[in-house]
Amino acid sequence: MPSAARAAAALGSGLVVLVAVTGCVSNAAPEATSTTGAARIAVTSSADACDLSTSTAPSGTLTFTVSNTGSDVTEFYLYAADGKQVVGEVENIGPGLSRDLVVTAKPGTYVAACKPGMAGDGIRHDVTVTDSGTPVPTTGARASSRPPRRSAVPPVRSLLTAAGGPFRGEPLFA
Amino acid sequence: MLANFLIGLREGLEAALVVGILVAYLVRLNRRELLPALWTGVAIAVGASLAFGAALTFGPQGLSFEAQEAVGGILSILTVGLVTWMIFWMARTARHLKGDLQHELDDAVGTGRRAVLVVALLAVGREGLETALFLWAGAQATGRGSAGPLVGAALGLGLAVALGWAMYKGSIHLDLRKFFGVTGVFLVLIAAGVLSYGVHDLQEAGILPGINNLAFDVSSSVPPTSWYGTLLKGIFNFSPETTWLQAVVWVLYVVPVMWSFVRIAWAKPRKGAPARPQPSAVTAA
Repeated sequence: MPSAARAAAALGSGLVVLVAVTGCVSNAAPEATSTTGAARIAVTSSADACDLSTSTAPSGTLTFTVSNTGSDVTEFYLYAADGKQVVGEVENIGPGLSRDLVVTAKPGTYVAACKPGMAGDGIRHDVTVTDSGTPVPTTGARASSRPPRRSAVPPVRSLLTAAGGPFRGEPLFA
Repeated sequence: MLANFLIGLREGLEAALVVGILVAYLVRLNRRELLPALWTGVAIAVGASLAFGAALTFGPQGLSFEAQEAVGGILSILTVGLVTWMIFWMARTARHLKGDLQHELDDAVGTGRRAVLVVALLAVGREGLETALFLWAGAQATGRGSAGPLVGAALGLGLAVALGWAMYKGSIHLDLRKFFGVTGVFLVLIAAGVLSYGVHDLQEAGILPGINNLAFDVSSSVPPTSWYGTLLKGIFNFSPETTWLQAVVWVLYVVPVMWSFVRIAWAKPRKGAPARPQPSAVTAA
């Protein structure tokens, strides 16, 4: 049975590497650089409201920074236009916390929902994603543009980025 | 603070209980020399989760939603495989105990250091990244001058660890056969919950279909933010809004695994006869 354990260990570490090279998206996405197809949207979730800093964003990598000002745990969902298919979700946003949801969005209409209390349909708002001109992969994939290089990139990080070169933008599961 | 406390408790409980059971096994079987391997697995999982979480929170790159769900889902299913193997390892041990055949017992528990390390690693690492991201969000809130969320989360995780320790202390005095029989049944239910949770993660990531086909929704009577909702979720991964695929997979796992386990572990020993040789097919699915 240790052979099974070894296989599991190999599979697990392979998975970590795979995600490290395919699953990372740029954190450096201030609204000022929105023309490059990366934008940050601030969301404030309270007991009875779900306020978004903007209801339109350019296509590409979108980062929703969700702050919980209520007294209950909240979740934030981004749905497709039908309001059912999950595009992205971040959970465990306790009172006083702020967490990021990073998604890659094509142009179109989406539905954003805060779910204080972690149940029900939530408080919903439409979000319109406009065409930024940046090509966005069809499904389940990351932004194709490389994040801007920083001067003080940690060695491991740059190693991962380098190793991920040919794989960036590939879907994790075809 | 209470809400963040409950999140910490929920995220830590299942891992703490599995590790508590694993420690109890090794101690009961006089395999204390494997304890360092177990703690190494736990330490690697905690360290890697915190480091990866910190890199994603404070570094130049974040993790996309699909990638995080895929990690959670796949690690969950790997964990179920390993825990299932552990359950049958236990069942065989319980059977050997009835025959009082010490050498066969030694064979059955002749499990490698690496296997113990990997089970502990996966049990803790499975939800480690999500917990680390939650904790680092608490650290960021502390940086903004509000330490309450981080303190609450840490207290919740602390209670989870204390309950894992209590599980170890409580089970260590049970009659040995009862100990294996009862903890095994408990582990089958935990593993089934992890499997169902992994299916839900993969459904959310769009890798498996049917995220909106709910088998039942009891979130009005079992609110996820209540203390009992927290315990049900934390121990058995019970989701008040369960999809059909989750429910079907849960039943398809529990029925055959529980049946096999009870048949092996709780079977009446044949008086005077040596225990039967082990069927080699009894392994993790």
